[in-house]
Amino acid sequence: MNLLYTTLGFIGIYLYVSFASLLWEGIDRKLVARMQRRMGPPLLQPFYDFLKMVSKESIIPRDSNKLFELAPVFALAAAIALLAYTPLGFGPLFGTRGDIILFIYLLTLIGFIRVLGAASSGSPYAQIGAQREMIILVSREAPMMLGIFTIMWRIRDLGVSKPFSLRALYEHNIWEIGTPMSIIGALILLFVFMAWLASEIEVGFFDIPEAETELAEGTMAEYSGRHLALFELANAIKAFVSASLVVAVFFPWGVSGYLGLTGLPAVIADLLFHTLKVFAVLFVSMSIFRAVSGRLRITQAVNMFWTRLLPASIVGALLLVIDTLGVIA
Amino acid sequence: MTGKLEYWVKVPVGPIHPALEEPEKFIITIDGERIINVDVKLGYNLRGIEWIAMRRNYIQILYLAERMCGICSFSHNHTYSRAVEEMAGIEVPERAEYIRVIVGELERIHSHLLNLGVVGHAIGYDTVLHLSWLARERVMDILEAMGGNRVNYAVNMIGGVRRDIEEKHVRAITDMIEYYREEVMPKIEEVFLYDPTVEARLRDSGVIPKRIAVEYSAQGPTARGSGVKKDVRYNERLGVYPDLGVKPITPKEFTGIVKGDVFDRMVVRVGEVWQSMELIERAIDQMPEGKIKAVPKDNALLFQLKKAEGEGIGRYEAPRGELIHYVMAEKGRDGPARWKMREPTFPNLFAIARALVGEQVADVPVAIASIDPCLSCTDRVAVVDANTGKKTVLTEKDLLKLSIEKTKDLNPKIRGKPEVVGIGCPRGDVL
Repeated sequence: MNLLYTTLGFIGIYLYVSFASLLWEGIDRKLVARMQRRMGPPLLQPFYDFLKMVSKESIIPRDSNKLFELAPVFALAAAIALLAYTPLGFGPLFGTRGDIILFIYLLTLIGFIRVLGAASSGSPYAQIGAQREMIILVSREAPMMLGIFTIMWRIRDLGVSKPFSLRALYEHNIWEIGTPMSIIGALILLFVFMAWLASEIEVGFFDIPEAETELAEGTMAEYSGRHLALFELANAIKAFVSASLVVAVFFPWGVSGYLGLTGLPAVIADLLFHTLKVFAVLFVSMSIFRAVSGRLRITQAVNMFWTRLLPASIVGALLLVIDTLGVIA
Repeated sequence: MTGKLEYWVKVPVGPIHPALEEPEKFIITIDGERIINVDVKLGYNLRGIEWIAMRRNYIQILYLAERMCGICSFSHNHTYSRAVEEMAGIEVPERAEYIRVIVGELERIHSHLLNLGVVGHAIGYDTVLHLSWLARERVMDILEAMGGNRVNYAVNMIGGVRRDIEEKHVRAITDMIEYYREEVMPKIEEVFLYDPTVEARLRDSGVIPKRIAVEYSAQGPTARGSGVKKDVRYNERLGVYPDLGVKPITPKEFTGIVKGDVFDRMVVRVGEVWQSMELIERAIDQMPEGKIKAVPKDNALLFQLKKAEGEGIGRYEAPRGELIHYVMAEKGRDGPARWKMREPTFPNLFAIARALVGEQVADVPVAIASIDPCLSCTDRVAVVDANTGKKTVLTEKDLLKLSIEKTKDLNPKIRGKPEVVGIGCPRGDVL
C-alpha cells in the first residue's frame, strides 16, 4: 500500500514538475523580453511549442545511427528518474543514505546523453556542439561537487539521521553553524553554485554548446519533431531540478511549520513555496544573467571554471570547515 | 599536409546560417576548435541588377540603385549620381551637397547602430541587439519624415536632390541628436568600450593586421580599425566634406592602441556615430539657401544626358567603406552603356577570411558580423555553364584574355595589349 502511494506521488510530482518547469520557461522568456523592452511571447508559449513539436514529423538524418532516436527517450527517462531523488521542499521520495551521489550522477547523465545523441546525428555542427558540451561538462562539476560534499560533511556533525542524503538538508542547514567564517564560506559557495547553475542550464556566458549564432543550436541541430520535444522537456526538468538543489542547500526553509499544516496540505504548501524559491533562484541565475551577458569562448569558459570558480570553491570549503579542523580558536 | 588531413573537418557556414544576415557561404576547415582554412563562396544573392539596368534610362536607374541594398540605399544612388554627374559634367548646387551630407550621415548613424546590434547578437548578447535597434528607430523616423520611407528615401537626383530640408526637419534632427547624445551614446560606449563580456569576446578576435588590410585593400571601418587612415570623404575631398572638417576615425583616439581586431572595428563605428552627429550639426548651420537641382525638369535632364558621352566614376564613403560606381555613356542612348559598381564588402570579405585562419570557431560569426557584410550589394554577376555543368577554374591570365576579347567586342577601335602585371590575386595561394 505504501509503495502504491509513493508511486502515485511520484507520478504526481512528475506531472507537477513538468508543468512548473515549462511554465518557468514561459515566465523567463516574458521577463527577459521586458528587460529588453520587447513584448515577448505569451506566458504559455512553451506549452504550445511542446504540443506543436509533438505533433510534427521528426526528421532523422541519413548519417545518424540508432542512438540518435534513443537519446531523447533516455534523456527524459533520466530526468524522470532524477525526480525521485530531488528535494522539492521535502525530502526526496526514494531518498536514502548517500543519495546525493546518485543525484549528481543522474544530473550529469542527462548532459552525457545529449552528447551521445548529438555525436550520433552525423552533423558537423552537432559534433562541435558535443565536443563543447563534453568539455564544459567535465569542467563545471568539480567546483560544485567540492562544495556540496563539504556542506554534506559539515552538517553531518550537527547530527542528522542519514548522512550524505538530501533529506539531511531539511534537518540542518549550513547557516545554523553560525560562525562568521562559515557564513562567509557559505556565501562564497552560494556564488559558486549560482555560476554552476547557469552553466548547467547553459545560459549567458555558458550558452556555448547550443550557441545559436555559431553552431545553429549545436547539440540540438539535427533534432526535430517529437524527439526535440522530449529533449526540451528533459532540459526544462533539468533546469528545475538543478535549481532545486541550490534551493535545498541554501534556502531549505518551508512554510508548513508557520502555517500549522500537517499531512498532505503541508506537503503541497511546501512544494508550492519551494517552486517559488526555485523561480527566484532561476530568475537571478538565468533571466538576469542571460539579459546582461553574452557568450564566452569555450577556452575562456573552461579557464573561468578552473582558475576562478574552483579556487573560490576551495576557499569557501576551507572557511566552512576551518573551525572543525581546529586550526584557529 | 596529407598525414594530418584526416583529423580536419570541413564545416559549411552558410548559405543559410543563423549567424549570417544574408546568403553567403564560408567553408571552414577546422581542427577541433581551431580554424585551418576559410574558403568564401559568393553568388547566392544574384538578382541581375546590371542586366536590368541595361533596360532602364539614367533616371530610372536611380531607383534601381537604391534597391540594391536596404541599408546603404542612399550611398548607392548618391555614388551613381556622382558618376553620372562626372560623366555629363553637371555642376551640383551647394545646398544640394549639404542635403546629401545630412542624409548620408543620418544613414551612417542608422547603419552603424544596426551593426553594433548585430555584433551583440553574434556573441549571444541579445540585450544589446534589442536596445540598439530600439535606439535606431529614432533615426529611421527622421528619415521617414524626410523621404517618406524608412529605407528607400529617394533623396538623390542626378545634379542635385529631390527633397529639400525644411525647418521642421531641422528641428526634428536637432531633437534626435540631443536624444542620441544624452541617452543612447553613453550606453553604447558603456557596452562597447567598457563591458567585460564584450571586451573578452571582441578583443584579439578576427585580427586584421595593418599589412593585410593594405594588401587586401580593406575598406571603411575595417581598414580604419586596423589603423589605415583611409576615408574617401577626407582623402578625396569629396563634395563639401572638407568644409565640415571630416577626418578618418581610428581606434587610437579612443583606446590609445590599434590592434585591428573586432573590438577596434566596433570602436571605429562608435566614433563615427559621434562624428556623424557633429557633421550633421555643422552642415545644418552652414547650409546656404539656393536651388537644390542643377536641372529642374527631369525630361530636360534626360535629354542632356542622352547627348552626353564619355565615362564617369563616382566615389563615396558608404557606412561599410569606399563605394565606387562606374558609368560609361554612349551618345544617343538614354541609359548607360555600362554600369559597374565595386562594393566595400567584397575586399573586406577576403580580408576577414584571411584573418580568421588560426582563430576559433566561436569567432566566426562575430568576425563576419564585424565587417558588416552587405551581400545583396556584392552579388551581381555570376557565370554558369548550363550546357555542360563542368567546373573550370579561371586563372588571372584567362580572365585577362576574356576581358580583352570583350573590350574588342565592345569597341574595336581600342588597340593595346595589356600584360599580366603584379603577383595577381593575393588570396590565390591562401584559398
